[in-house]
Parts: sequence; C-alpha cells; structure tokens
Amino acid sequence: MANTDKNSYTVIFATVMVIVVGSLLAFTAASLKPNIKENERMEKQQNILYAMGINENEEGSINFISEDKVAEVFSTGVTEQIVLEYKDGAIVKEMSRDEFMKANSIEPYLIDVKKQQTRAKEGKSRFLPLFKGMQDNKIVYVAPIRGVGLWDAIWGYVALDKDMVVRGAYFDHKGETPGLGANIKQRYFMDDFYGEKLLTDAGVFKGITVAKGNNDPTNEIKDDYEVDALTGATITGDGVSAMIKKDLKLYLPYFQNLKNKS
Amino acid sequence: MEHLELFFKSVFIDNMVFATFLGMCSYLAVSKKVTTAVGLGVAVIFVLAITVPLNWLLDQYLLQPGALKWLGKEYIDYDLSFLSFIMFIATIATMVQLVEIIVEKFSPSLYNSLGIFLPLIAVNCAILGGSLFMQSREIASLGLAFNYGISSGIGWFLAILAIAAIREKIRYSSVPPALRGLGITFIITGLMGIGFLSFGGMLTGGDEEEKPATKTEAVIKKEDLKEDKKEIAKNTKTIQ
Amino acid sequence: MALLSKKDTKLITDPLTDNNPITIQVLGICSALAITAELKASIVMSIAVIFVMGFGNVVISLMRNVIPSKIRIIVQLIVVASLVIIVDQVLKAFAYPLSKTLGAFVGLIITNCIIMGRFEAFALANKPWRSFLDGIGNALGYGVILIIVGFFRELLGAGTLLGYQVLGDPITKTGLYAIGYENNGFMLLSPMALIVVGLIIWVQRSRNPALVEEN
Repeated sequence: MANTDKNSYTVIFATVMVIVVGSLLAFTAASLKPNIKENERMEKQQNILYAMGINENEEGSINFISEDKVAEVFSTGVTEQIVLEYKDGAIVKEMSRDEFMKANSIEPYLIDVKKQQTRAKEGKSRFLPLFKGMQDNKIVYVAPIRGVGLWDAIWGYVALDKDMVVRGAYFDHKGETPGLGANIKQRYFMDDFYGEKLLTDAGVFKGITVAKGNNDPTNEIKDDYEVDALTGATITGDGVSAMIKKDLKLYLPYFQNLKNKS
Repeated sequence: MEHLELFFKSVFIDNMVFATFLGMCSYLAVSKKVTTAVGLGVAVIFVLAITVPLNWLLDQYLLQPGALKWLGKEYIDYDLSFLSFIMFIATIATMVQLVEIIVEKFSPSLYNSLGIFLPLIAVNCAILGGSLFMQSREIASLGLAFNYGISSGIGWFLAILAIAAIREKIRYSSVPPALRGLGITFIITGLMGIGFLSFGGMLTGGDEEEKPATKTEAVIKKEDLKEDKKEIAKNTKTIQ
Repeated sequence: MALLSKKDTKLITDPLTDNNPITIQVLGICSALAITAELKASIVMSIAVIFVMGFGNVVISLMRNVIPSKIRIIVQLIVVASLVIIVDQVLKAFAYPLSKTLGAFVGLIITNCIIMGRFEAFALANKPWRSFLDGIGNALGYGVILIIVGFFRELLGAGTLLGYQVLGDPITKTGLYAIGYENNGFMLLSPMALIVVGLIIWVQRSRNPALVEEN
C-alpha cells in the first residue's frame, strides 16, 4: 500500500483526479449537448406560445403545447419574428427574421437575453426580439424579459397589445425558494397580469409593481399598475417588478412608432 | 460611498444567517461557547474574504459567457458557466484545507474544539452562497468583491457571536429539560430571524416612490442615460 | 440468514430516531429551512438526497484507502459535485420537465452538510455495503424531519397539502374558512421552520429522556 500522506502521492492523485473528473464532465456535457439544446429550444417555443395564450391549460394548472406538436404550432402561431437593434434609448434598426438570420445565423427566438444585457452594459447596441401572433383577432407582441430574484436569475415572456396592455405573461426562475418565490411560476400569479396597463393615459411608461398590502387582492382593478404580491417572497416580487420596468421600457419607442403610424 | 453601502447592506440587511438562512449547521453546532464561536467566525471571515474575490476572478476571466475573450477572438463564444459550481467549490475546498493545515499547526486547541466543523466550513453554505450571490448579483469590481466577502463574513461572525452569548447566559434560566441545549437554540434563532426581517423593510421601504409622477418622460430618459453612462464608464474601467 | 444483520438494521433505523441527522447531529439545516414551505418540495429533496447519499457513500468508501488525507475534503466535494452535475445534465437531456423541478435543488444538495458529514464520519472508515446502508439511513432520517416540517408549514401557512386545498377555499370562504379560520402566512417564512424543528426536538427528547443535554 502506498503511503497516502506523501506529498508526491498527493500531487499525483490530484492530477489523476482532475483529469478523470474533467474528462468525464466534458464528455457528458459534450455528448448530451444536442439533446439539451433541443429541449431548451422547445421550451422557449412553448413559453412564447404560452404567453400568447396558446396552451393546453386545464383549470388551475399550466400545460404547454405538447412537445410533438410545438414546432408546428410555433410556425403557424407566431406570425412574424422581428428584431430591433437598440442603442442609447432609441431603436436604430428594425430587422425581419430573414435579415437577422442572414447576419447572425441564429433564430430570433433563441437570442440570449442575458448576453444582450451584458452587451448593453458594455455600451454596445443590443438586440431586442419581438414575436407577433394573433389573440382574439388582434395582434399581440411577445417580448422576453430577464432579471434577478432572491437567489438567482428569473425571466419571463410578456404578451402586449398595441397599447402596451398585458395580454398574457409567463415567468420562470432558476432557483427561487419552493413555496415562496417559486410561486411566480404559478398560474394564479401569472394570470393576475392579464389586462394590466404599462402606460399612463398620457403615454408615459409606468410599469407594473408587484405590491404588498395591495387593496385589491383578487386583482379586479386593472388600471392600478399593481398586482398582488406573494406571501414571503418580497425580493422575488421586487425582481419581477424591476425586470418588467427595465426590459419592457426598451420597447416603448417601437410601440410609440406603431401608434404614430396608425 | 458605494463600498460603505455594500458593507452595511451585507452585514445587516442581507445578513447571511438571518436574511438568507445560510451557514446554519455550524452556526447551531459551534455556538455553545463564545471563544469557539469567535474562532469559527474569524475562520469564516477569512475564508470568505479569500474565496469571493478569487471566484470573482474565475468568473470574470473563465466562466462567464464570453469571458475567454482575452485568449483571442475565436474563444469569445465559449460559455463555461455550467462549470461554476464545481470551480467555486474546488476553490473553497482548497482554501479550507489550507486554513485547516494552518490552524492545526499554530493553534491545536482551537483545532480540537472546532473538530468536525472545520472541514465542514467547506460545505458551510454561507461560503458557497457568498460566491454564488457575487455571481448572480453581478458585483462590479474586484475591490467590491473583496468588500462583499469580508462584510458578509462579519455579518455571519456577529450572528454567531450573538447566539453564543445568549447561550452562555441561558444556562442560568430554567428551560424545560427536553428543550435544553439544541431545542431552545433553534427557537431563539427563529425569533432572532423574525426580528431581522424588519431590516428587510429598510431595503425596500424607501424606493417605492422613487420616480415622482410629475417628472416628464424626457427628464427620466436623460437621467437613465446618465446612469447608464456612469455604469458604462465603471465597466470600462474594470475591463482596463 | 436475514438480508440485514442486526447491526446493519441499526444503521438504518438509528438515524430515523435516536441519532437523527437534523435534530441530534445538527447537519443539513440550511436545506431544511429553504425548501420546507411546501410538502412536495420536501419530498422531492428527500428522494434526491437518498440517491446522492447512498451512491456517494459507496464511491467514497471504495476510494477510502487511496484518498490522501491532506486533500480529502476537495476529493469528497468533487465526487458529490460531479455526481450531481452529471445526473443533472442527463436529466436535462432526457427528462427535461423533471430536471426543471430538481434544478433549484442542485446547489443545495452539493452544499448539504449531511452528505459531507457522513462521508467524513462514516464512509471514510467503513466498507461499501455498510456505508451504503448508513447513507440510506441518514437520508431517510433527514427526509422524515423534512416531510414533518413541510407538512405543518404548508398546512398551516397556505391551507394546502401537495397543492390541494384541504381546508377549503380562502377566497370564496368554504370549509374551515367559512367559520372564520385564517391561514397563518407567517408559517411560510424561514424562521418558522427553525421554530417547528425546535418543537420537534422538544417532543423527541420528552419521549426519550436519554437524549436530554446536560446544561
């Protein structure tokens, strides 16, 4: 038996361990990557469709369009994908899906919001994807948002009509506390957003606040710019308010344009 | 100013023990005596002060999406963030093992009283939590990361000091026999946690009406721009 | 011969009661606080920990004679972390919805001090089979407390169990709510988990005075 206290043995053991574990992890990551990518792609399609109101919901539960149908439904449900290039408070360029894919060879719905936020911080322009679809014979626009909750990242998709009134929302999180912050993923929380306005009557962006001690717990008043908070999840709720205010505000010039045109 | 704010925030408002309930195991088990509690508390400050900045460097130059760009343009698309857990924990474990060797050498009595809990600093969730919060809250510079590590360590230290002092006094009270020791400690910690919840109000209470409705959109936009520019300037500074 | 000798059975039953990892050994508290606001999360976490503890203990026990003592902590952590990450990746590839449920627990499992604590205290000194039993036993003991705490917190805090409204509907005022009962939202906050565990310790030690601590 080798003397396991010797320094040379320790060094050799550590080296072997690093190589074995490293290659094992790299091998799993590499060989499973296509499957994982495919799953993530389907999830994004399901989320976007969910925000538009296309889902297989039963009472109280959340059911996405099933995996075998999602690609087909996505191609018909999302009528148009556009990408806006945003810099210093203004939209400098509007691209169709084909134009964007020619330049970046990636589908607009696969744009990584986090990467774009980092780009914006570095002072570069960022891409804002927007997905158009139909709901009750009206066009809705779905925008992705992303922020930070109590423990880690939270994100979501919000469907808006041309006046920036919410027509559906989907939120998800990486690791919020189960039973507390994780409840942003519950149907009763997401459904509260339906019908809430983002703009004041004068057209100023106000956003939606997840408010504690709200006078309207069943959320019948739709023009108070508030939804009822979740018990024991103050910081997650603040994160949701913040990402709505910050990320959806970027789309304001686009919707103003839309209004001026019509 | 930024440093001072982060310091107070991490010590009191985001206190590791009472706000996020991290690092509970060693907190409950090694708080019988003030002297041992101080020993462990100092060890935690030390380990946090080293691992948070170290992991900040790892995160900036290795793990983040696009972090490898210092290697050359062709590496810009690599995203190694799935390795963050294992890298962070490896750094922490290495540092803890170093601390263990040092303490064993220079203070055998402290080493003996810390017992199994010295190696357990490695899985003290407060330590990994520190690094993960540093990552998810996007701490902007190495200096701030160091500050964050030290101040969350101090927050943890204060918490364990407080409970150890209470436990030394509570020996003179007549606690029901079955609650003596661990049971009453759990309940006291729970009550302290409820007290600390009020600090959370400090964090959110003020900014509810941050933007008065009277301001016009243009003004707000200008202010936002100014803030963005400040942030850009800050980031470019750190990059350089 | 029975499948388990008397000594082996003790390895499983002891942690359930008199040597419980949470109430006696004070291990794994953080995760117990973080996830017990919901019964479902408690159950999922318990099952995950049973797997990781069982297999982790076997792996460490198999390696116990070759691990250099100076770097044993790193080795142990890397074993757990890579086990968890590999399982996480496999689930992500083949059972995506399940991996979404478990995703939040990955970090908590890696830093769960029960796992490290049992590696240090048992697996480093014992044969694989016994280590396996010890791992399963301790994980079960941990799970029992988690489920008890989760049961009370969800029932009293939200009035539901596994998401079903067992006490009636608080908004339309049916069931218990019709006679004026209210949910105690306080139960959902983490400090209450500490107090519930404290009460469990009280009950446990009243029933078995041998466990009472000297002052």
